[in-house]
Amino acid sequence: MNPIDDDTLQAYVDGELDAPDIARIDAALMHDDVLARRVRQARAVRAQVQAAFDPVLEEPVPARLSALLQPPSPQAAMPVTPRVLPVGGHGIGTTRRRATRRWFVPGAALAASVALLAVGLWWSRSGEMVRMQGGQSFAAGALTRALDKALASEPDANAPVAIGLSFRSADGQICRTFVLRSPPVRAGLACHGDAGWSLPVLSAATPSEGGELRQAASALPPAVQAAVDARLRGDVFNAQQERAARDTGWR
Amino acid sequence: MNSSDTVREGLIPLLPRLRRLARALAGQVADADDLVQIVLERALARAAQWRPDAALDKWVFAIARNAWRDELRARGRTQHLFAPEEAGEMAADRASAQPAQQLELAMALAALPPDHREVVALVLVEGMSYSEAAELLEVPVGTVTSRLARARATLQAHLGKDQ
Repeated sequence: MNPIDDDTLQAYVDGELDAPDIARIDAALMHDDVLARRVRQARAVRAQVQAAFDPVLEEPVPARLSALLQPPSPQAAMPVTPRVLPVGGHGIGTTRRRATRRWFVPGAALAASVALLAVGLWWSRSGEMVRMQGGQSFAAGALTRALDKALASEPDANAPVAIGLSFRSADGQICRTFVLRSPPVRAGLACHGDAGWSLPVLSAATPSEGGELRQAASALPPAVQAAVDARLRGDVFNAQQERAARDTGWR
Repeated sequence: MNSSDTVREGLIPLLPRLRRLARALAGQVADADDLVQIVLERALARAAQWRPDAALDKWVFAIARNAWRDELRARGRTQHLFAPEEAGEMAADRASAQPAQQLELAMALAALPPDHREVVALVLVEGMSYSEAAELLEVPVGTVTSRLARARATLQAHLGKDQ
């Protein structure tokens, strides 16, 4: 067998290979521990970069930005706030020259700290459905059990967790959307990897009229929908594919 | 509804993803949101150039990438927005609140050259395929692959320190 070079291995991790090449690497992984370690490392880089920036999706959009997308009205043709730059103006950073040094933290680190804080607050109230590991959040307890076992095709109205869509993401992991039914109601995306179900997104969810969250994709909070859109290649699983994926351990 | 209204309304649900991409490119929160503002202004000004059969997200992400490149040129810094040593110093301010690995990642990202950073932002952060990123960047797919591989190697070396 030919050795697997870095470009091919990376393409495998990023979901860029076609079926024969995927099968070739899958077969090699069965007996090649060094290759398996390289795959884990490449996946870890992707997962950590995503975990550093995905929390931005949860942040409220600053009013000065959303104001630019409001329909023009006679009174508000020119939104004026102290931070608005002139069109074609001086560029990035010129509005912040007097900013305190504390602001000049790399965005990734700051975003991550915001996410950790948010998850931490929520975790403390949610009966250990989430655990932190290496700066990332993972499913725990009842959430793990639901993600491992529950099928959207066999919904259980009394279960604490409702499962929505399941699909294979662009980087090869199987991901599932879920809704935690007990307050505070949360929706999120979980992706299965070596360390369990990582949670790239958790979002506040709004119960529908019956107090029950619909599971249709259209009902997902925007942040979760965006996370799904960013990962989805091809179609979501049908009932048969979902069951098959469960029976093979979500690999 | 004219094309300007279509673009304006289409951009609203894209704002979170646009902010995420800008954060990955510009690094700092304030710079990133200034970049988003420039991108929105440009997109609205050029709404007539958007063709309805083209994906609005990719169109506006291309504007974002080009605006970021313009800003780098305007600043006369061809490598990165701030020096790695400076990034480390800034990150250290918050060391007590940060897991060590997140700090390493933030510093490593800040130190990547623009060619590498934009590929990381488009493929790893935004989740584009190699061919989508290649089209946006107007380079061959092989170039995307090799830049991403080198960026990964750099990031992995930083992340591997405390493993």
